[in-house]
Amino acid sequence: MSLLLLGAGLALWFWGTWPLLEERSYLSKLHKLSVSDTLGSGLMLLGLLLRIPSQWPLLALALLGLVVWNTIFGYVLARCSQPAEVNHR
Amino acid sequence: MVFLLSCLFRLLLWTLLTADLTAVNLAIGIGLSLLLPHARGPRQPLAPTLRALGRSLIAVPLAYGEALALISSGDREEESWIERPAGDPRHRLLIFLEVLAITLTPFTIVLGLSNGPTGPHYTIHQLRPRQGQPEEVQP
Repeated sequence: MSLLLLGAGLALWFWGTWPLLEERSYLSKLHKLSVSDTLGSGLMLLGLLLRIPSQWPLLALALLGLVVWNTIFGYVLARCSQPAEVNHR
Repeated sequence: MVFLLSCLFRLLLWTLLTADLTAVNLAIGIGLSLLLPHARGPRQPLAPTLRALGRSLIAVPLAYGEALALISSGDREEESWIERPAGDPRHRLLIFLEVLAITLTPFTIVLGLSNGPTGPHYTIHQLRPRQGQPEEVQP
């Protein structure tokens, strides 16, 4: 089960990273990158959690940090790509 | 009440980081969670914040579903810009959780928050699998 999760995470990594090399819009690349770096890495951490359950507090912390940090970083990148008039608050 | 939630969240991070539930360590964690600076500003409403927290948690399984939908769609996707009503911009925790819930799901990314005539709203970029003719010929 652990190997399955690690493998699925790796597959998501490649699926989300490959579009970076293609001719696409910046934002659509960002959508796909969020699949690889947040969701793919999340599956890998779950796989590691099953493999080394004794380290669950640190892995849970990493999972929480990953979800929050990656998501907000994606938002910051998307927001910074916009012209100034969209960014006023 | 949001102050209490914030302290509990800090304590959770502390206990996960130290992996130690002894009384002394918990006392240090409680002390730190109270002493570290707290956000200033208007009082944060509890009910909308908890609802936004719930939506953020639901967004995790939803995100995997949307990722599968994107993967299975191949390259047949359509981009669009949409607007969605936002919470009060003065309630920063609420806005943070709403942005997290929207951006976590691969279909949508928040691009900004602006005040329109109908109130505050998010500008969102959406990438969805294209509905309809799968045999569409690309130019």
